[in-house]
Amino acid sequence: MKRTIIIMASFGLVAGACTDSIEDTQTPIDPNGQTGGSEENTFNHENQYDVWEMIRRLTEEGPPELTSHLHSCSKVRYANLGNVLASLGVNITDTTPVSAGDLYQSGFNALGGPNYANRIRENISINTSGASRMYDIFAAAADQVITAVPTLTRCQVAGVGAQLFDATTNACRADGITCITGYPAQAAHLDFCNLAVSSATDVATGKRLAVAAILAAAYTCE
Amino acid sequence: MKRISILLLVVATTFACGGGGDGGGGGDDGSGSGSDDILSKREFDYSAALRIAALRLTGDIPTMQEINSVAQAPDLAAQKAAYETLLTDYMNRPTFARQMFLFWRDTFKMGETAEFDTAAALAAQLTVTNGAYTNLFTQASGNCPTFDGTNFTAAECTNGGPKAGVLTNPGAMKLFFSNFAFRRVKWVQETFNCLKFPVELGGAPVDVGGASPYTGVWPFQSIAGASNGGRVNFQDVSSVICAHCHQTINHIAPLFATYDMNGQFQNQISVPTPLDGAPLAQATDYLPTGEALGWRYGVPVTDLPSLGAAIAADPKVAECGVARIWNWALGKKDIVDALEQVPTETIQSQLDAFIASGYKLKDMIRAVYTSDDFTKF
Repeated sequence: MKRTIIIMASFGLVAGACTDSIEDTQTPIDPNGQTGGSEENTFNHENQYDVWEMIRRLTEEGPPELTSHLHSCSKVRYANLGNVLASLGVNITDTTPVSAGDLYQSGFNALGGPNYANRIRENISINTSGASRMYDIFAAAADQVITAVPTLTRCQVAGVGAQLFDATTNACRADGITCITGYPAQAAHLDFCNLAVSSATDVATGKRLAVAAILAAAYTCE
Repeated sequence: MKRISILLLVVATTFACGGGGDGGGGGDDGSGSGSDDILSKREFDYSAALRIAALRLTGDIPTMQEINSVAQAPDLAAQKAAYETLLTDYMNRPTFARQMFLFWRDTFKMGETAEFDTAAALAAQLTVTNGAYTNLFTQASGNCPTFDGTNFTAAECTNGGPKAGVLTNPGAMKLFFSNFAFRRVKWVQETFNCLKFPVELGGAPVDVGGASPYTGVWPFQSIAGASNGGRVNFQDVSSVICAHCHQTINHIAPLFATYDMNGQFQNQISVPTPLDGAPLAQATDYLPTGEALGWRYGVPVTDLPSLGAAIAADPKVAECGVARIWNWALGKKDIVDALEQVPTETIQSQLDAFIASGYKLKDMIRAVYTSDDFTKF
């Protein structure tokens, strides 16, 4: 709690400046020139939090005493996404335009990759650019995944591979969904998957959409 | 909990400069029985825990075989046992080293080139070998290992000067170079103490001529300013009370000021000031003559190794280490940048075990990944 108070006190420092704009956070330059403070002439004093964001989060999610006990809904990290795609049979080094590999490689920034040269960590928040790029990647990768799953060692049990779709009925299969999501498939997964397949203009498109949507749901929020 | 809400409300009202705010509050602040209900409704789901643990610790999802070993276990106890067996396996794989290396890169906000990767490599090496977290601040040799994605290769840092774990890392000193070495101090503070400055408030209020009193714990005159020979007035109160942060910063920064812009140790202060012509800083710019250095008020230090020892002995630093691992495991954003606070009570058992174990990193990670909070959804 002491830490909270200290943090709040730092809010207070900002409040003390009594600015109308939360963007205007630089320490004003002293008219006597003794305490210069801006990015142009000294250490960057950007050192406070977005109070409104904190209030919004507190209102929507609850206090740290609750939220710290709960898993958050972060997107999969960029490197891990590459690992997962590769292990599901996707060629992530493919440079063919708009292939899954190309979209993955060129999506580093959109997916929130870190910028260590500028001392910025990876952004694991779900945002529009990241989520849409991730969906594009999964849509482009779906055919490769569907083809690869039966032969992937990671999807095998006692030497028998998994299948995403039944070869004769085109119905979605639990073992395939389990393998690509990393979690035992539930009835809702199968229902959704089958609905996507049957609702599409053709079966191949439906399968592609179903796999892409399942992957997107699984990895935009771990 | 309620205090947080009230404080935020006060802050919001203050921030608005009197622009309304009914001061209402009231209502459900998310604490108490509401939170208890939410927490008590969670159930163990070792399959979900396995998936997240696999992504964090191996960088990939579990295999079918692994998924089934947990999901098809006959009861909860068997699922728990299967999950923990796999957890041990994951933490003994080469991919664990890679994942920890990436974790520390992100924690340190630096890497991806050889010169900036040694700090993450050292931390990852300590993690994989179940070394002590405190070695990050006190280790006197072998502080610049390299990591090839699988193996660590021991190496010494070649930037000269004293050695104190990552505190003297050449990459860190270079990347966080700035006027007065303040950015280096900020990096150490936020990375290892999980708080932005100011961090030493709570002293008796003292009227120093500003709009609000000075409430730091160091004497106001213990830092340099226009009144005692400093060329930059850290005692300025015209906008904010600069001393609230600089009381602490200025007692640490001179130790980091002897590293130049390339992270090389020099025998004299080698960081510039924001004054005209960017002259090098002087000792009297930070503190008045005779004032001793300190990690915190009452915790004097004389050099970087003693600073490292003081940091290692700070219980809040150990707590910060556990909190960072906790947030990583539970998919939280950064504890400082995003203010993803972890109350001490939340991680008390893991923190106690961490301290009792001698700050063993790998053991602590396992404790987090086997906690009820991690395995309940």
